[in-house]
Amino acid sequence: MTSTLERPAAPSGPPPAPGQTPTRSARAEGWVRRAPLLPALVFTIIVTQIPFLLTIFYSLQSWNLVRPGSQQWVWFDNYVSVFQDSQFRGVALNTVIMTLGSVLIAVVLGLVLALLLNRHFIGRGIVRTLLVTPFLITPVAAALLWKTTLLDPTYGLINFVLSPFGVGEEAWISDFPLASVMVALIWQWTPFMMLLLLAGLQSMPTDQIEAARMDGAGAWAIFKELTLPHLRRFIELGTVLGAIYLVNTFDAVYMITQGGPGTASANLPFYIYQRAFLGFDIGQSAAMGVVVVVMTIIVATFALRLVFRSFGAAEGSN
Amino acid sequence: MSTREKIGWGIGGVLIIVYCLFPIAWIVSLSFKSSSDISNGAFLPTIATDENYATILTGDAAELFLPALRNSFGICLIATALACLLSMFAAYAIARLDFPGKKLILSTALAVAIFPVISIVTPLFNLWREIGLYDTWIGLILPYLSLTLPISIWTLSAFFREIPWEMEQAAQVDGATPWQAFRKVIVPLAAPGVFTTAIIAFFLAWNDFVYGISLTSTSASRPVPAALGLFQGASQFESPTGPIAAAAVIVTIPVVVLVLIFQRRIVAGLTNGAVKG
Repeated sequence: MTSTLERPAAPSGPPPAPGQTPTRSARAEGWVRRAPLLPALVFTIIVTQIPFLLTIFYSLQSWNLVRPGSQQWVWFDNYVSVFQDSQFRGVALNTVIMTLGSVLIAVVLGLVLALLLNRHFIGRGIVRTLLVTPFLITPVAAALLWKTTLLDPTYGLINFVLSPFGVGEEAWISDFPLASVMVALIWQWTPFMMLLLLAGLQSMPTDQIEAARMDGAGAWAIFKELTLPHLRRFIELGTVLGAIYLVNTFDAVYMITQGGPGTASANLPFYIYQRAFLGFDIGQSAAMGVVVVVMTIIVATFALRLVFRSFGAAEGSN
Repeated sequence: MSTREKIGWGIGGVLIIVYCLFPIAWIVSLSFKSSSDISNGAFLPTIATDENYATILTGDAAELFLPALRNSFGICLIATALACLLSMFAAYAIARLDFPGKKLILSTALAVAIFPVISIVTPLFNLWREIGLYDTWIGLILPYLSLTLPISIWTLSAFFREIPWEMEQAAQVDGATPWQAFRKVIVPLAAPGVFTTAIIAFFLAWNDFVYGISLTSTSASRPVPAALGLFQGASQFESPTGPIAAAAVIVTIPVVVLVLIFQRRIVAGLTNGAVKG
């Protein structure tokens, strides 16, 4: 592995200037041109794909770390038990709810924020800078913040704020575990959506809006007929990027609820981690890992195709 | 716009800003509260105290926290530097040179970026223990590179595409060697993009939790997020809210400072990479 690290030294000379070596065969030329790419690519593939091949290998075995010598081939037994495991199905459902719910709410809030910041007012720059902060907070710290200082039944700020409305010592985290995790995720991801949508709003031609306003269109009509269609691809992009990251959420679940009570708030990454590092059941957790990868690939292929199509179409029409 | 609408927007704006920022203000305030103050619900501490920071930096928790800070800085800086170096070559090739399979390479990078980390952590854990990389700096730098490289390649090739490469040839016409032309003309133009990429890469590595908690076991290499996780786990029944708040503030500061200084660039970088990709 270390030898891969030293690789970048090799191509660090002057970059291959294009078109300088017409005498060489085109094939060799092609490889010279690809050479600068190779270290990064080869490295990433090695670090991610060799372990993944191992994951596939493990997933075909029954192997529990606490029982030495238990390692043996079972072929697809692990997959069968994964799909028969009702906990796995519950956890998969949690993952979908957590990912989609958080992303969609964050997009809506981000859209409101972006619309707000797209207006001119005093201190706009400062407000925008400050609003980005939640996204920058280390996720573990953000999760801790929500757990220990906001949602806590006795010290929590939320109960303190809600106490005039008759909410007593509500134990948010044990009563609404999934929602508690989602609140923290939404809070962190709203600024990201805002930034993306703000970029979208600012790329919007103002003359159309002016013309519509001249024609007497109301604010809502302008928003619905002009702004939203223009923002569509940015919303799609934000949703896809957010979903891709949030599907892998681990820190928030680990810190806030530990997946509990039971598996009420566990998502797939946490469940897999639990099975591997706390249950030491390498075979089963590997099988779940493979299932997650396959599902990610399927979902991501569709989602990304959608985004590329709408961006491609927009670029074509420009 | 009517006055009513203006008022509506104003109220909405204030509410959302409070929602985004109040939790942060609250944790900063908590980190300065003394232990008797912590649960009083008041926004400002009655007396600002640095005892929580003292616990973290010199007191009981220093043993856990200080080495973690050192590890995080070291590991993330090395991973960032390597990611920038490697992705510079890759992005140069993608932006500058024509060859078949370019699209395939970008999609491979993207596929790696969305690859669920959790499904490769267990084999890495086993593999690292076999070859002695478990609980070492290199054992974290390698996976961090796989985390940062794909995004770096994407962001940087978006930046490199904007560079007016004709200037390189213009310099060569004026008598510069190819290497000089690259160094004196292209490098200054590319620097802002590289810089933005570096910050994004650092941010990703700094925020990692899965690798940090699975591939380390001692303060020899445990990064800050993992330390924060343990810090809380050790005292589940009486959570040390004050010191945790202080630790959270310290962990977040480097990233926030970096980003606030270079915010414009990062926003441009993120949206460029994402939109033009």
